[in-house]
Amino acid sequence: MSKETASPSLLTAVKELPGNVWKSLFRNPLPTNDLERSSTSFTNFFLHIHPVKVHKNTLRPLYTLGLGLVSFFLFVILVVTGILLMFYYVPSTAQAYDRMLDLRGSVAFGTILRNMHRWSAHGMVAVVVMHLCRVFLTGSYKKPREFNWVLGVVLLLLTLLMSFTGYLLPWDQLAFWAITVGTAIAGYAPVVGKDIQFLLMGGSTVGQEALLRFYVLHVAVLPATLTLAIAIHFWRIRKDGGLSRPADADPTPPMEMMGAQAGSKPSLPEGKKTYGLQGLVRGPLTKVNNIPDNTVFSWPNLFMSELFVFVMTLAVILVLALLFNAPLEEPVNVMHPPNPAKAPWYFLGLQEMVSYSAFWGGIGVPGIFVGLLLLAPYLDRSPKGVGVWFSRDRLLANTIFLTFLAANIIFVIIGTFFRGPNWAFVTPW
Amino acid sequence: MAVNLKRSSGGGTQVAVSRRRMLAWITGTGLVGSGVLSAVSNFVFIKPRATYGQPQRFSIGKPEDFPPGTRIALETRRICVVREGNRLAALSTTCTHLGCIVGLADTGFACPCHGSRFDADGTVTGGPAPRPLPWFKVTLAPNGEIEVDKDTEITPGSYLTL
Repeated sequence: MSKETASPSLLTAVKELPGNVWKSLFRNPLPTNDLERSSTSFTNFFLHIHPVKVHKNTLRPLYTLGLGLVSFFLFVILVVTGILLMFYYVPSTAQAYDRMLDLRGSVAFGTILRNMHRWSAHGMVAVVVMHLCRVFLTGSYKKPREFNWVLGVVLLLLTLLMSFTGYLLPWDQLAFWAITVGTAIAGYAPVVGKDIQFLLMGGSTVGQEALLRFYVLHVAVLPATLTLAIAIHFWRIRKDGGLSRPADADPTPPMEMMGAQAGSKPSLPEGKKTYGLQGLVRGPLTKVNNIPDNTVFSWPNLFMSELFVFVMTLAVILVLALLFNAPLEEPVNVMHPPNPAKAPWYFLGLQEMVSYSAFWGGIGVPGIFVGLLLLAPYLDRSPKGVGVWFSRDRLLANTIFLTFLAANIIFVIIGTFFRGPNWAFVTPW
Repeated sequence: MAVNLKRSSGGGTQVAVSRRRMLAWITGTGLVGSGVLSAVSNFVFIKPRATYGQPQRFSIGKPEDFPPGTRIALETRRICVVREGNRLAALSTTCTHLGCIVGLADTGFACPCHGSRFDADGTVTGGPAPRPLPWFKVTLAPNGEIEVDKDTEITPGSYLTL
């Protein structure tokens, strides 16, 4: 039929179709040797964000606790469940609450999707804060990871904003009054406060305009920003030389191997040195001769760890979603604030502080706290104590951090359990 | 291209460099400028010119609806109407702390959110509220109805005499 005898017949093509499609999708078979392991990592779009080899230290579960991964996987769960919920939600004051009831009553899997979304959102705030603690307490924000730390703080703020904007959407009493209080706190910011409040609410009170604005922020503006920031955060992990590790994690090779003369400063042979592309990459990359290699292949070591963390995260969220229903209070009644009107738990520390002074509690103290977090790597420049939990060299920094953290947690606990009607002090027992 | 090369070598290099620099400056300023302009216009765009909520100026009824001694909260309007004898006033019931609605109490007003307290004139008597409750301008319209203007705050204690 064809003049070119080399080309296979149509029949053969059809016969070999499944195999050929598969091979065009996945360039590599399941790897059996190191070359194929490397190849699998960098020929797959979803895997190539990983290095081909990772340091053993990166994989120590008790060092990272997997908190960054858990945050990311919670975000993935939130995006998926959030998109599904969008199919039934209408950001209108007349319909939003009824849609919540529909989700609970008539939409297939509506309850569990909303539960998953709610518990993942709470979980993400908690885990992101825990991730921040891990990074701080192991000194991982230090050079060269300063900017990634700053990005991390930005990610925390974005997570809180995501949570805050999502809070209004059910349009129940809890939502309405928490947002009324929250936007009023923003109004206390110096100079631009009133404008920010007006822009957020699209009017002078929380109403239809505010609901629409919060919806757009929650489903479009903030997720897009968060996705971009996460991408840069991940990218920077690799560009900054992988996860932090103790200075002695890689034994330094003996000097003679580096070609240095005994007793003299090692110098490069003039004019002979040429730099390849690898010269542009920071950190040890080329392994020559007997330099100790503490890395293992990402396939399967890193990927199996990630899969494990993902499955665990999803399992916990599923169990929570099956056991506990996301709260839904009475529909909005703009005339009767619930007594006491409480913000979501992670803002209760803020609300507690706000009950003493609106400016200092809502803007001043949190502003100083965030400012200190952002500046931490530029103020604390000692290179000591990186890669170890609670290093003795970091006693002062860790103590300051833990004091702030404990103060915050205490305020959250007081606001959650010890405040009753009219925000009066009550005992929960 | 060739012309350019000839000029830069023959006509003096300084002229060529400064032209290039000037073009770079114009391009750079243009790009940065339009970037700033579009950023600003975003804010102009999202700042509503018209708001759809309740009107800030409204009528609350005839003076007869509020007999002397009345102290009643109009919850949808977020005001409290007070009438003592021939004098009438309208106080805000929006807490000056964080915007909750204060409730009427024996001693004045109490906020359920963070425990701010006000006396009957709206003066802060306790809690975190930074300012007293504002008093709004009240006028008697030609048709005999009482009109409240929530955009105009007046000195606390100034009543409308009927």
